[in-house]
Amino acid sequence: MSLQALRTPGPGRTVVLSGNEAIARGAMEAGLAYAAAYPGSPSSEVLASLAAMARERGFHAEWSTNEKVAMEGAAAASFAGLRAITIMKADGLNVALDFLTSLAYSGTRGGMVVVVSDDPGAHSSTKEEDTRYLVRASHLPLLEPATVDEAKEMTRWAFELSEEVGLPVILRSVTRIAHARGSVDLGALQAPPRTAHYDPGARYFTTSALHPLLHQRAEAARSRFETSRFNSYQGPADARRLVIVTGPGWAYAVEAVELLAVSDEVGVLKLATTWPLPERLLLSHLGHAREVLFLEEIEPFVETEVKALWAQHAGNLGSISFLGKASGHVAGPAGPAIGELTPEIVIAAVSALVGRPFEPRAPEFRRKVEETRLPELPARALAFCAGCPHRASYWAIKAAIELDGRDGVVLGDIGCYTLGSMQTGYFTLKTVHAMGSSVGLASGFGKLGDLGFEQPVVAVVGDSTFYHSVVPALVNARYNDSRLLLAVLDNSTTAMTGHQPHPGTGRGATGEPAPPLPIESVARSLGLAVEIQDPLRIEETVESVYRLLQTDGAKVLILRSPCALLPWVKRNQRAMVNPERCIGEACGCARVCNRVFSCPALVWDGARGRARVDEVLCAGCGVCVDLCPREAIVLEAVA
Amino acid sequence: MDMTEVQAERGGPAELQARVLGAGLCTACGACVGHCPYLKTLGERVAFIHPCPLPEGRCFAVCPRTALDPDRLDAQLAGAGPADPLLGAHRALHFARALDPEVKGCGQYGGVTTALTLFALGSGAAEAALLTAGSPTAAPHPVVARDRAAVLAAAGTKYSACATLAPLAPLLREGTAPLAVVGRPCQVAALRKIEARGEGVNRLALVIGVFCFWALTPPFYRFLASRADLARAAKMDIPKEGGVVFSVNGGAVRIPLDQVRPFIRPACQHCFDPTAEWADVSVGSTEYDPDWNTLVVRTARGQALVDGAVAVGALEVKPYPAERVPILREAVRGKKLRVLAALEAGRAEAAYLRLSPERRAALQPEAGAGA
Repeated sequence: MSLQALRTPGPGRTVVLSGNEAIARGAMEAGLAYAAAYPGSPSSEVLASLAAMARERGFHAEWSTNEKVAMEGAAAASFAGLRAITIMKADGLNVALDFLTSLAYSGTRGGMVVVVSDDPGAHSSTKEEDTRYLVRASHLPLLEPATVDEAKEMTRWAFELSEEVGLPVILRSVTRIAHARGSVDLGALQAPPRTAHYDPGARYFTTSALHPLLHQRAEAARSRFETSRFNSYQGPADARRLVIVTGPGWAYAVEAVELLAVSDEVGVLKLATTWPLPERLLLSHLGHAREVLFLEEIEPFVETEVKALWAQHAGNLGSISFLGKASGHVAGPAGPAIGELTPEIVIAAVSALVGRPFEPRAPEFRRKVEETRLPELPARALAFCAGCPHRASYWAIKAAIELDGRDGVVLGDIGCYTLGSMQTGYFTLKTVHAMGSSVGLASGFGKLGDLGFEQPVVAVVGDSTFYHSVVPALVNARYNDSRLLLAVLDNSTTAMTGHQPHPGTGRGATGEPAPPLPIESVARSLGLAVEIQDPLRIEETVESVYRLLQTDGAKVLILRSPCALLPWVKRNQRAMVNPERCIGEACGCARVCNRVFSCPALVWDGARGRARVDEVLCAGCGVCVDLCPREAIVLEAVA
Repeated sequence: MDMTEVQAERGGPAELQARVLGAGLCTACGACVGHCPYLKTLGERVAFIHPCPLPEGRCFAVCPRTALDPDRLDAQLAGAGPADPLLGAHRALHFARALDPEVKGCGQYGGVTTALTLFALGSGAAEAALLTAGSPTAAPHPVVARDRAAVLAAAGTKYSACATLAPLAPLLREGTAPLAVVGRPCQVAALRKIEARGEGVNRLALVIGVFCFWALTPPFYRFLASRADLARAAKMDIPKEGGVVFSVNGGAVRIPLDQVRPFIRPACQHCFDPTAEWADVSVGSTEYDPDWNTLVVRTARGQALVDGAVAVGALEVKPYPAERVPILREAVRGKKLRVLAALEAGRAEAAYLRLSPERRAALQPEAGAGA
């Protein structure tokens, strides 16, 4: 994070920011007063940036327990006349959606911006969800920046738009905006007003009586979009071939037109205000186009809506050929509407539009590249870090389940520990869905006893997930006397999204002390039996899990050991393999330590035919010491 | 199947899983555990936690429920007395009891197992004893006893399938000291299979087998946990009649046998060897006089130990009442014939047995010597 760039005074200066930082900067230039988020890649750094600036700029920033609560807090600030922002990933919008669709009806007062980062290609997500359909269902204005600079400027403008139309405005970011860096022309930072006040006469209700008003407000947004400076067109005024592009694909499209040297025949309409559609603007371009290519991230949202618009006006517009994901012209290796746009996909699509093949390199060049290419690197599976306590937890849970022998079902959740579905977690997890879903599922399984279900059920969640959405499911399990074991893999941080604090850590978003709310206190207050175990003590952990599997009702086992990457975790020891005791392949252990245990620090020394610990990687957790049947792995002190 | 075939039979984790663990035939003896990082035991269950890729393994070789050939084990047992198809090779059959009041107080019936174990440690015949410890109302655990207190703490019969042999592999691998082991018949058979592999040569100084007609599963302990009146039980016994008897504060609490039968370990129903035929000595109830144990002396080593214990006044022996011998033999015959019937019916549960035609014939009442 570049704090110096974030706090640089404007206007008149240009700095390099990430897309997430640019959004934060745009909010601060708009006089932001309230920011709330739950971390989720690729959006997490927006609130991290704001939290770092909150004290000196005098606004509120918080990590909320989940996205719905974050959005509700932001709405409160809006109702009090302040400008507020809430940030989440696509999955988070699902969590907040019930409130968002209600808020659309009640409307807002102070400018309210909802930043939702989609993750085309699912680089750091379990699914590839296109937020825009939910925004459309909510009748809310939707903006899609194409560049980092535009993300800043559009965020600033979104607050104005929100106040003009009385609705929250959605800014849809994607990974290639959020995590890209670009130069940003700064504006002046604005201090938040100290005038928060709820008008005693104001009412914010969700009632179907307001449905017509919502449509009117959406129409007002559409009207503003018709002339928005964020929509732009380049190319011949009467181009028969038109590219309609949203998001970062715009840069690829411009480059493709240039590389194919077709700027005299292809027009590029950059559409930044994607819902409600600026119909007049679109119709003006459809009027001259006979072939239209759509470029957008994930699903053919604009493509479908523009085709519907064309159908409405087909009598005037005449025949148009539409190229895009529906026609199969915009597709990556896995097919249309799967994965993110790339310059290659875009140039192939533009090439198809103009009917001109594109050869990126001379054949001779390609041949030479093939000749000099290095052998491909071996594929590496995703893995828990060296010293990760989750590895120990799964090692123990897996052992307890196998020893129990009743085909126990382990249900997964969202976090680093989702990797429990892979080799690094010994394929222990059998289901993965949404935040907290493991416990709801477990609660259901736990009531199937009278229907012949005899398998024990374990739900695995992380500490941050516990606060996010586990508690209602746990209450349900308790209330309905469901038989389940909840294993909370508590590594004392929100590790997967970058070590954000949570209600159990004793710190807030800006680093201020906060009253810690221990998981065990919450669970015990529900009347549940709770045990706390250090997962690095493998044998004890196996016995704890096993013993709890034999008991009735809902119970909680907190497997508590801090994330090995936390700066304060210093174990002052590391593992080493005693080469006298390790006998390699002669052992009969079939290299259990590095082949099965899957710690990146436990490697096989092929030259010597022995296991070896990579002393640079080893975090000193000590779990591997118990694995070796010949006790060849020992710990040594490190200064 | 002849001897050469038996010797040629080799297998690995896949076969062990298919034929024993996955088939519910594991006796939880613990012999396969402690050497292999893939096999673990807990709650009287043995399981592969992760798949082992080896085609062959010690786990298969030492398991008493892979190929078990009584003739071969008889031949292996050095210094054994005359063969006996029902009671196993033995040199002598006694009633016996400990003379040390403390031993007698905490041991089962006459306390012979405890007395012999203490004598083996005290005389230097063994430096450590692998025993089964725990209260009669909670799942027992293996213990490596090196002194009197630890042996006394492990006294008394446990009626479930503790994986007592789990610590054995590291003991054999890491040390050189002679060991005594007290085990169930399945464990004694496993010990002899371990010896046959050349592991721990001359390390098993004394193998005491305890009579076992079946063991109970751990849910039995959960059943007991629901009985507050048994919380302080010091001893448990399953006499021939009268159900299960717990000694509590000097009194007796009885549970009808029908309440306990559902907890019998299924694998035990297919056991062919209730008297630990390949032990150095076997010890059991007399089902006649609760002050005494039945003591079967099988090998020269066992004989030497008993003689020594008697000589120092640790043990008292008297002849096994002649009229009781047929009762013991019939009980054993009944168990063996049930398993033989399963074997001859081609049932998979009994397929581990390799019984020669002669041995099969010898089990029949008309052919049984002395029965």
